[in-house]
Amino acid sequence: MRRTFTVARRVVRQLLHNRRFLALSIVAPLVIVYFLKLFFDTMPAGFDVARYAVPVAAFLVHFLAFLLCAIVLVQERTAGTMERMFINGFRRAEIIGGYVLGYLSLATFQAVVALAEVLWLFELDYDSGTLTTLFVVVWLLAIASVMLGIFISTFARHEGQVFPFVPLIIVPSVFLSGLLVDVDLLPTWAERLGHVFPLFYANNVIQEVILPNGTLVDVWGNLVVLAGYSVALLLLASRTLPEVE
Amino acid sequence: MEAIKTGGLTRRYGKLEALRGVDLTVSEGSVYGLVGPNGAGKTTLIRALVGTLRPSDGEVRVLGLNPLKDRAKLRRRIGYMPQSPALYEDLSARDNVEFFGAAHRPPDLREKVDEVLELVDLTDRARDPVHKLSGGMKRRVSLACALVHRPEVMFLDEPTAAVDPQLRSRLWKTFRQLASGGATLFVSTHLMDEALLCDGISILRKGRIVAADSPHNILEKGKTRLAVSRNGNSEEQIVGSRPEDLAAALQPYGLEPGVKGVEIRPDSLETVILSLVEREDAG
Repeated sequence: MRRTFTVARRVVRQLLHNRRFLALSIVAPLVIVYFLKLFFDTMPAGFDVARYAVPVAAFLVHFLAFLLCAIVLVQERTAGTMERMFINGFRRAEIIGGYVLGYLSLATFQAVVALAEVLWLFELDYDSGTLTTLFVVVWLLAIASVMLGIFISTFARHEGQVFPFVPLIIVPSVFLSGLLVDVDLLPTWAERLGHVFPLFYANNVIQEVILPNGTLVDVWGNLVVLAGYSVALLLLASRTLPEVE
Repeated sequence: MEAIKTGGLTRRYGKLEALRGVDLTVSEGSVYGLVGPNGAGKTTLIRALVGTLRPSDGEVRVLGLNPLKDRAKLRRRIGYMPQSPALYEDLSARDNVEFFGAAHRPPDLREKVDEVLELVDLTDRARDPVHKLSGGMKRRVSLACALVHRPEVMFLDEPTAAVDPQLRSRLWKTFRQLASGGATLFVSTHLMDEALLCDGISILRKGRIVAADSPHNILEKGKTRLAVSRNGNSEEQIVGSRPEDLAAALQPYGLEPGVKGVEIRPDSLETVILSLVEREDAG
């Protein structure tokens, strides 16, 4: 466990030293949310902004956490520091655990900032229970995204090979996870395919709790699936992260 | 006792054989050189020895341990300096050394980091981020990362590539210092003058060991050009490079007063190695 914290501390220290990267990963979602506000302002009166705003914030955190984590891990491999970590005695689970802890701090910050901006810009008013649930679901999605990034990084030999996974995994989730349209309106196969994406479960919870009479009771299973998603990806990544060629 | 031993070590990448039945024995406390041109298989061999590359065939033992099966035990006892710096550029030299050292959980990590930074002469620049350091300094940081936990066997992959002669000489002094303390150093290089500084060398060519011996013995496999100026004439002959070959060649001249000069030009290690390689290529 001590070595997991050593890796996590190093990841956080690296993030803090790389201010450009840090600023970009915080500022980028803020700017995109602002563009979203400009876009929604053009919609006719009565347009249900809340139905889209919070899920889009969740999606941004999901996308950035996945991409940044995957790229940085691939960089570890191309720079030779991953091999060096292994030879110095760090184990796979310790490296992955360290990355999760390190990136979680960034993802948590991203989740708080993106959610806060959405609530403020779109003047959304929720009670503390709903706010807590929204934060927890975005946070769980961020963990799953970090895991997904770690898992996908094991298939990429260089940074460029991460990008084909974006149209393969991230973009379809926009259309099939209920972010834009209700999944019930999709063909059955597409609806089923939507269940593969973690954003689907996060969106289910968000759509329910932001309703005036929404309750977590009906959708808590989605939070469990989201957490299970992270555990499954953690296990998969700890098997696929190549230690020996 | 042997620090490193391989038998019939082979590694294939599809149809390409990167290592072809490598047999190697390195004794403890020595500086051993792996000499070969780029693409000879030096890095592949080192990676098989440190346990990050699975051999297709053959045996590998480092300190009597299997680098794959006993990797948890072995990795506490070995150090590895890869060809590329393999450092975190945003972190300071000290942070890098401390991070890789922390993997071994030594109780006195801070003191060990201070000592190793002093050894590689980087105490003054320890707080600087790695991206602000010169190429030579980065190599020294990389070396410090490999040495911080006082490993018994160190694998250094082209540690002096692209460094200036002054730093190269300083690094070799450090290697000698470490070996005199009982450590074994396995150093890959494509520079022949560095091979002369090793206790033993193996010449690797297209994944195969062409020759393995001490540099002195390998030099004796070469030829010596002997030119004697006698009574206004110059006589030149090619003889062996062993001391007895030279003695036999000089014997006919004795201490004749007519002998005005003797020029002995032995083959350089590079020439000997190239001839060994040519002989190997010719089959």
